[in-house]
This record gives sequence, structure tokens and C-alpha cells, in this order.
Amino acid sequence: MKRYFLLPMLLLWSLTTLAAGTQYAMRVDGLACPYCAYGIEKKLNQIEGVERIDIDLEKGLVTVDVREGVEITEARMLQLFKDAGFTYRSMTQQRL
Amino acid sequence: MKQNSVLKIIATTTAGLLVLLAVAWLAWVPSPKELAYELAGSWGGPGSGAGQLNEPTGIAVHKGEVFVSDARNARIQVFDVDGRFRRQFGTKGDSPGQLGRPMNLAIHQDELYVADYWNDRIEVFALDGTPRRRIGRAGSAPGEFSAPGGVAVAANGDLHVVDFYNQRVQQLKPDGKFISQRGESGRIGIWAGEFNYPTDVALAGDGTLYVADGYNDRIQVFAADGRFLRKWGGPFALNVHGPFNGWFATVTSIALGPEGNIFVADFYHDRVQKFRPDGTFLTAFGTPATGPAHTAIAVDVDADGTVYVANYDAHRIEKWRPGKR
Repeated sequence: MKRYFLLPMLLLWSLTTLAAGTQYAMRVDGLACPYCAYGIEKKLNQIEGVERIDIDLEKGLVTVDVREGVEITEARMLQLFKDAGFTYRSMTQQRL
Repeated sequence: MKQNSVLKIIATTTAGLLVLLAVAWLAWVPSPKELAYELAGSWGGPGSGAGQLNEPTGIAVHKGEVFVSDARNARIQVFDVDGRFRRQFGTKGDSPGQLGRPMNLAIHQDELYVADYWNDRIEVFALDGTPRRRIGRAGSAPGEFSAPGGVAVAANGDLHVVDFYNQRVQQLKPDGKFISQRGESGRIGIWAGEFNYPTDVALAGDGTLYVADGYNDRIQVFAADGRFLRKWGGPFALNVHGPFNGWFATVTSIALGPEGNIFVADFYHDRVQKFRPDGTFLTAFGTPATGPAHTAIAVDVDADGTVYVANYDAHRIEKWRPGKR
């Protein structure tokens, strides 16, 4: 009985995992200025597949959730942050 | 004997450096010539309800009403001069009458001009909030914008628009037709007439244009015919920032007072600084920041000399009056 219950749960888990997107966390300097922060949000919003943007002024952290199949490269972020007037530090990513 | 010579050299060098420092201090750190302003009231607070604000970034006072760019709520809120909520308009979006991120404001002939940083245009409203027209579109060609931060309107209706990412200030006809520009499109510079992410403009009655040259930490002044006149902000006004009188760190707004004096939001120092039109420092005042963000982001001055400041960090509007003590 337990086995019959586990099987669909496992299937559901694998489906949601496969459909999950990616979360990118980027450390940048200069976030306290809204002219820069809004510039970043504006440019990130223009990337196809970006679903959520969060800016943490205190930590200097920009977090971006993208949908499954969308990839953000570090080179692209480096350019984007440079264009927006920021100093880019680093990027990490994890599956959602 | 040798040791004495070394000591003499050290003493002479130290004395020389101290004299230089004293001269530099006298030359570049002026004393206040007026009392600091006093806080006479404030209103707002974080939120999205009527009267609450989520990152105020622009302010304009006109005929007893205070207009506020409520940036993250993508709307304009209107208060009386004591902070009582009157009305709001604009919703999030890019359709006519909608706003992305409203920034510095200007009022001319009973119309509100909103620099919309995200929609790359100037959105014009009647003062009751009725959308009237929009000027400009995204791009870097003449008459186009990349994140306009502020706007000033001349007596004849010509617009002066600060074009943040295009590193220029454009002069346009009332219908948006390009007339001229100051600064080279897309090129950052620190010399006279060049810009480093300009944020706002103010226009005097004689057509003199004052530009808040944001990340150059200075003010630049141009004659009505476009000639560069002067600049100020730190030593030689060459992007040297600091917390001293007359110095800046990221200027985000500029306004003219009733006597022609210049009020500048010195964002990273959480203060407004007041100058004579020639750049002579008069006084400074502001509210210290409590969070990671900063306070004084936008400023405007009423006909009676009362100064209204948008406090970005506290999501509040502050009212300041000239000091009496």
C-alpha cells in the first residue's frame, strides 16, 4: 500500500523538479543608489524568462529567478551590471 | 649632524604639508553663511495605501500642493503642504497615463511633467491627474531617452531632459522635437560640459540651466545659449567626493528657491545643501539615514522658502524651514 502511495509522489516530485527554474544571486557594489538599482531592475526585466527580481540593499545582493530552460551567463551579467553603473563582484546559482 | 639634517627635512616636510592642508581646507571647505534649516514636519511612511510611500524619488510643490513620485508604487501622490493626502494617479504599466518608475518632477503652466525612468519618456498630466501626452521614447537617437531622471520646462515650453544612461541633457521643443544637447551621447566625462550619469535639472528665469551631474558629484551651469558657465562640488569639481561643506557624493535632485538660490540633494550624505547661484555654499541640513539606503533624494522649494525633501530611506516627505536660532 505504501509503495502505491510513494510512486505517484515520486513522479510528482520529479516533474516539479524538472519544471523548476534557476535562482541566480549576484553580489554587487553601489546598490544604495536607486538610480542604479532601478537601472538594474529595468535591464533584468528585459531578459526573457526572468520571473522575479529581489534587491537586498543591506547585503548588496541581487537575486533573480528565471524559468526552466533560461540560462544567465556570468559574462552577460558582467556587461549588464557595467552598463547599469555597478561594480559586479560574483554570482552563484541554484535550482529552484 | 646627519641625524639632525634628517630631522630637519622631516620637520620642514611636515610643516609644508600642514600648510598645504590648511590652504586646501580654507580653499575647498567653506564655512556656512546661514543657519541650518529646521525640520518643521514630516509625513508618509512605508506602504502602498493612500498617503503611504514606497521609495519616494521626486517632489514638486505648486500652489499649496505637494506632488510626490512614489516610485515603487508607480504612482504620483498629491498632498497639501501639511501632509494631508489629496489624491493619487498613475498605475504600474507602460500604457498612456501609466508609470514605470517616476523620478524627478517639474510643473509648468498647471501641468505635471514626470521623468519616467523605466518607460523612457516624459509623461505629462494635468494637475488633477488626467493624462495629457507623453514625450520621447526609448533609445539614444536625438529626442530619445535611456532612463530620464529629471526635466525642467522653459517659459516657452521647451523641455530640458536629463538622459541618465545616455550621459546628456537634451533640449526639446514642447512636442519632443530635438533642438540641442549638452554632453556627448553615451560617453562619460569629468571635464566641463561632460556628464557622469546626470540626474536632474533646474532652470532659472533667465534661461540659465543648472544640472545635477550625479556621479560626478557636482553641479554644472550653462547659459541660455548653451555655453558652459561654471561648476562646483569638491576640489576643481572633478569627481572628488567627500562629506565637507560644498562637496557631494551622488547628487540626485536640484531646485531653485524663490531668491534664486540653489538647493541640491546630496544623497549619499543624507542632506540638502544650499548655494548662491554662483556656487557659494550657504548651509546644509538633513536627516541621518537609519538603514542601508540614504535619505535626501529629491528637493523642491515653495514660494515662501519652505523646503520639501523626499526621504528615500524612511519613505517620508519632510518639510524644512530656515533656521532662526
